[in-house]
This record gives sequence, structure tokens and C-alpha cells, in this order.
Amino acid sequence: MRDYEVVYIFKSALGTDEIDARLQTYHEKILEADGSEITAVEHWGKRQLAYPIDRNDNGYYVVAQFSTEPEALPEYERVLKLDEEVLRHLVVLSEGELAVPSSMHEDDDEPPRRKRDDDDDDDDGGDDDDDGSEDDDAEDGDDDEADKD
Amino acid sequence: MAYRKVCRFCEKNVERIDYKDAKVLERYLTDRGKILPRRATGNCARHQRQLGTAIKRARYLALVPYIHGYYG
Repeated sequence: MRDYEVVYIFKSALGTDEIDARLQTYHEKILEADGSEITAVEHWGKRQLAYPIDRNDNGYYVVAQFSTEPEALPEYERVLKLDEEVLRHLVVLSEGELAVPSSMHEDDDEPPRRKRDDDDDDDDGGDDDDDGSEDDDAEDGDDDEADKD
Repeated sequence: MAYRKVCRFCEKNVERIDYKDAKVLERYLTDRGKILPRRATGNCARHQRQLGTAIKRARYLALVPYIHGYYG
């Protein structure tokens, strides 16, 4: 018995009830193995994709966790692959509870950006708001070029 | 910013870097979407490895782009 986590991306044109029906059928495949259970299902809802997938710009994300025997997975994934309404799916070993995204790294952190190529375009857009609040010793090395060579 | 000697993930006691957390992952990408090297992030080896895996998963799930600004 292992804990897994799966992320589905459905076509965003699907209604919530259609998605629920689909989840139901997939999860039945998992539950066929003895002692399996679905521990969590979380709907992220519609979200813009970082790049188009099959000409879809948006996707409906669902994250679920379950525990089952590894033998149950191939059949489950086969069904997922056959469904054309599923743009993507990713099954990984679960790494703990479903956390709320962006739980760590609240906005007190500046991005650790340090560009060496195309550095000259819009550099002041992102990093400039460093108020030096957290580490003073970083001040002297402030410009990116200094420590490069 | 100057590169850091302390790994941010260690500072925050992060056990596992979440591949679903695009906001965090974005910070470790260049403006073209490449993964920042350790010399830029200051991460420890363990967390930099985790970060790489997390970013690659997030790319597959279209949470984070493979190439930023491909469409201009």
C-alpha cells in the first residue's frame, strides 16, 4: 500500500458535474484494489496554463490523494490516457498532506534572481524593492555584476 | 541580489519542495524560464535537487513555463 498524489488537468469547457463524474470513474479503478482509499480531493478550479496544451489556454485543475497498491495504477492510468478531456495528469508518490500552495516564502523574500545574459532589458521591474530588511550583510554585494568574475 | 550562503529552504525548514507551488518555483527561474543555478540561488545540494524535480513536474503540469515569453 502506498500513498499517491495525482494532479489532473481537464479541459476547462467541462462542467463541474462532468468533472465529478469523471473523477468518480477514475477513482473506482483505484478502489478496485483491496484496502485502497481516496484520502483527499481538492478542486483548484479553472487556471490559466503556462503554455497552451492542444490549443487549450485554460485548464481545470484537480488534485487528489489516495493510497492503493502499485498494481492498481497501470489500469487507472490507461483509462486516464484514453480520456481526451484530460489534458494532463501526473501521478507521484505523495509527500504528505495537501498543503495550501504558497505556504512558505511569504512576500518577505525577494527572488534570488541573478541574470547574466539579457540583463539589460527591464531589470528594475523585479528586484529593486529589496529593502534589505532581512540580511544587512548582503548589502555590499548588491549589484549582480560584482561577484560574477 | 547578492548570492546567499544560506539555503532558503533550509532556513524555512522545508522538508519537501512542493511542485504545485508555482509562486515559489517561479523565483528560481530566469526570465526565460531556465532553472537558476546553485551559485545564483545559494541553495544547498539537497534542496537544489528537489527544486529541479519540482520545477520539472510543474512544467509538465503547465504551472510554470518551459520557455518564458515564447509568444512575445
